[in-house]
Amino acid sequence: MSEKRKYKKRYCKYCEAKVDFMDYKEVGALRFSLSERYKIMPRRLTGNCKRHQDMISAVIKRARAAALVPYTVTRKAVVTQPFENLR
Amino acid sequence: MRHYENLVIVKPTFTAEEIQASIKAIEEVITSNGGEIATTSAMGMRKLAYPIDKNERGYYHVIYYTIAPSSISEIERRFRINEDLLRFVTIKYDTNREIAAWNKLVEKAQKASAAPAKEETPAAETETPATEAPAATEAPVTEAPATEAATE
Repeated sequence: MSEKRKYKKRYCKYCEAKVDFMDYKEVGALRFSLSERYKIMPRRLTGNCKRHQDMISAVIKRARAAALVPYTVTRKAVVTQPFENLR
Repeated sequence: MRHYENLVIVKPTFTAEEIQASIKAIEEVITSNGGEIATTSAMGMRKLAYPIDKNERGYYHVIYYTIAPSSISEIERRFRINEDLLRFVTIKYDTNREIAAWNKLVEKAQKASAAPAKEETPAAETETPATEAPAATEAPVTEAPATEAATE
């Protein structure tokens, strides 16, 4: 229940900011749509619209291929400091 | 002609001159296949999100260019043969919206290369994770390859 409140579905932040294109090299901007374990956050939690969710998922996958964002993290890496490399 | 962007990761074990030489060779591959390089931007030595071939770090370099679509397969074939590269990512900018974004990125990269001092500061910030103490101490990117060679 508490988790549900934390990610209340409201509006698409990217629509509000009128984002037309996302650059996979700006990893700091991808943080919003990534979980602590660098999974792509689902639309029902972030409130992204379908169009921007498709964009962000493509961009995150590119960033993963370029070793800017990890595919997976072990438990050890999670404990140290999430998102330390995305600043 | 279509707009493309290529991100290449060069091996971190090289010295600064060797990295520049291999980047030059990469750009040569593009130009010799009829590509026109709009601009390049060096993201510098940075920590990889996951080890590639047991390398923890890599030298990132981005090349923006236009080329005929048929030449891309040849360029990628050459990149795959090249052992200096850990990884390359080719991005196609096809629609009008993407081409506009490409132009913006090129402009940004040109501005950044005009003021190299400004470019170094964000790159240095990325190399300050608590887990890697030696990487945190070396601030400027230009020194990174040299120190890397010293530790090898």
